[in-house]
Amino acid sequence: TVRPKNEVEQKQLCAFGEYLAEILPKYIQQAQVTCFNELELLIHPDGIIPVLTFLRDHTNAQFKSLADLTAVDVPSRQYRFEIVYNLLSLRFNSRIRVKTYTDELTPVDSAVPVHKAANWYEREVWDMYGVFFANHPDLRRILTDYGFEGHPFRKDFPLSGYVEV
Amino acid sequence: MFVLSVQTTGLVGLAVAENPHERLRILYTKILGVLQNIPKDAAYRKYTEQIVNQRFNLVQTETDVQKLQDKLNSGHIEEVIVQAENELSLARKMIQWKPWEPLIEEPPSDQWRWPI
Repeated sequence: TVRPKNEVEQKQLCAFGEYLAEILPKYIQQAQVTCFNELELLIHPDGIIPVLTFLRDHTNAQFKSLADLTAVDVPSRQYRFEIVYNLLSLRFNSRIRVKTYTDELTPVDSAVPVHKAANWYEREVWDMYGVFFANHPDLRRILTDYGFEGHPFRKDFPLSGYVEV
Repeated sequence: MFVLSVQTTGLVGLAVAENPHERLRILYTKILGVLQNIPKDAAYRKYTEQIVNQRFNLVQTETDVQKLQDKLNSGHIEEVIVQAENELSLARKMIQWKPWEPLIEEPPSDQWRWPI
């Protein structure tokens, strides 16, 4: 069976995406809605804190809850890491995805001043991918062993690692 | 002294607001004052003024708290007050960030292509 297409929700999300792109043209490079009715905002990395604060505080977009913060490694690109923020609005029962990009050496602004929940998620992205977050209160390893070298989730890190256990 | 008809909001950490109309009036006038510092053609100013004026009119015409909550359709009146405070702090930050300017930098052409 195939999930039925919800045209009404698709149109609402498209309209909301256009609304956001009209208000924040300085940072939003693209806004798209997937076929499963998921709105995605593609952002320039300088705009993380303005966009996240806007989405949290604006009356028409009260995305108070940070559901997830991850990264995606695509080694063939110039900016190989894609940072993904998933936000949930409890008032309007809707979700939005905010995506940024960076490479191995450029630091990214931390989302902790905006959402306290980003603390451990950003530690995990640092540990697993090596993306440095500026102004993070406590950026250290969280999942790897104490003397571990390397960033395991990168695509060029071998499956069973470099050290024999 | 007056007896509060509602003793609790039912939400943790949110006390019942005495005189919510006054508080909302102050907050909305402050927001409108801060928005004057943004260029008139900015979309943020246009839409936020629309929202704030709409809510302001409802607050001024409706004196009963329960009916005001139903008309605003945005949860408890205390939540509406918190939301207005958030909007005020956002407006102040927007003046510094200036998000109505054109795009800072285009991404590399293959950045957002999927599948790679």
